Amino acid sequence: MKIKVNGAVQEIETRLSVADLLVRNNVEQPELVSVQLNGEFVQRDRCSAMMLKENDEVDFLYFMGGGA
Amino acid sequence: MGFTTRAIHAPFLRKDPHGSLHMPIYESVSFEFETAEEIEEAFLGKRPRHMYTRISNPTVEHLEQKIKYISGALAVVAVSSGMAAIADTFLSIARQGDNVITTKYVFGNTYSLLEKTLGPWGLEVRYADLSRPDTIEALVDDRTRAVFFETITNPQLEVADIRALSAVARKHRLLLIADTTVTPLYFFQSKDFGVDIEVLLSTKLISGGATTVGGIIIDNGTYDWRHNPKLEQEARRYGPFTLVTKLKREVFRNTGGCLAPHSAYLQSIGLETLALRADRSCENTMAIARHLAQDPRVQRVNYPGLETSLYHGVAKGIFGERCGALLTFDLASKKDGFAFLNKLKLIRRATNINDNKTLAIHPSSTIFCEYPDELKRQMGVPDTLIRLSVGIEDLEDLQADIEQALGA
Repeated sequence: MKIKVNGAVQEIETRLSVADLLVRNNVEQPELVSVQLNGEFVQRDRCSAMMLKENDEVDFLYFMGGGA
Repeated sequence: MGFTTRAIHAPFLRKDPHGSLHMPIYESVSFEFETAEEIEEAFLGKRPRHMYTRISNPTVEHLEQKIKYISGALAVVAVSSGMAAIADTFLSIARQGDNVITTKYVFGNTYSLLEKTLGPWGLEVRYADLSRPDTIEALVDDRTRAVFFETITNPQLEVADIRALSAVARKHRLLLIADTTVTPLYFFQSKDFGVDIEVLLSTKLISGGATTVGGIIIDNGTYDWRHNPKLEQEARRYGPFTLVTKLKREVFRNTGGCLAPHSAYLQSIGLETLALRADRSCENTMAIARHLAQDPRVQRVNYPGLETSLYHGVAKGIFGERCGALLTFDLASKKDGFAFLNKLKLIRRATNINDNKTLAIHPSSTIFCEYPDELKRQMGVPDTLIRLSVGIEDLEDLQADIEQALGA
């Protein structure tokens, strides 16, 4: 199925959780990232139980970003 | 693991290429990227990379991570000074027409920030007697955003019953912000007492001998930011990371109060010996307070560690035997106070606290000089008051200097 990760379409296998997606995408320093599913914050302890669906949009955002 | 072990062995976020045991000083303004795509992702917050030192820097980040590791906090932001930490926090949580509740006993420059700087921009400050939580409740309305207090006020040395303040804050869904400068990290676990946010001056005990100026904002991750109207939209996206995101991607970034990498390096090393210095200075303070309390030339001694302090019980319940390294005492007059200060040979006349050196000052004519007498009276800063910030020198030498300075 297709989902969007940080704005880019990804083809993923079914039965994938948000936590699985973090691993699958080699998300760096996961302790510093905030995860959003369809624009809503996902609590870290719920990432494993939260299964992805077709057309979901997942964003991994770091709070160190800038603009100098 | 104990405090000092964690402070010494806090891990690096990334392995140092040369195996350095201290995080090196990354004294570089900017950091380059391999591709345009990478720099775009970093700017959008989709890749954890340092771009520009005003916003983030590896050495500063290490200090933040070290404090996070020691404290168990959710997030830590290191800034250029304690005043920057307080200002950035208020600018993040409140907007025009909002109010915060605090005490007139806040540090002089904090009072000035609230009244003279933020007040005209629309932040209302309401003053309660924080030793009586019912006086807070009477001031709360639907525009109240936070209760702000100092764990031990300076120089009044009033100690707040933090659990009582937390109960009021929780009841009204207010943020509880503690300035923990005089009792940082090692002294107590703020999260256990219901503090949501700590702001503190790393200039003091953390820097390790007053080497550098800095400030720290610690988010314990305990506040539900959906209760703050200014931040409720961000809270949906960032959950517990709402404040740190607001700071890093807006307020801290835009106001520019960044910590210098060299300062972060020294403070990171200072953290490693904080507990040793805190224990020594608290022991010295207790001994000097007991000695002064017996001296007939001294009108009154104020130290929360003394049984005679109004706040002794509260302080002991929070900080145990470590009631800080600040004490005050009253002499008969301002003239006597100045004479004492001028006779000191070892103890330095200077405005700072928690240096390794013992420092003495007359608060009324210095830190509070810009305020009229009536306001100074309300602030608990009489003309007769001398403040000592006790350092880590050998106790006998300090006692001898005080003794000769009190002499005729």
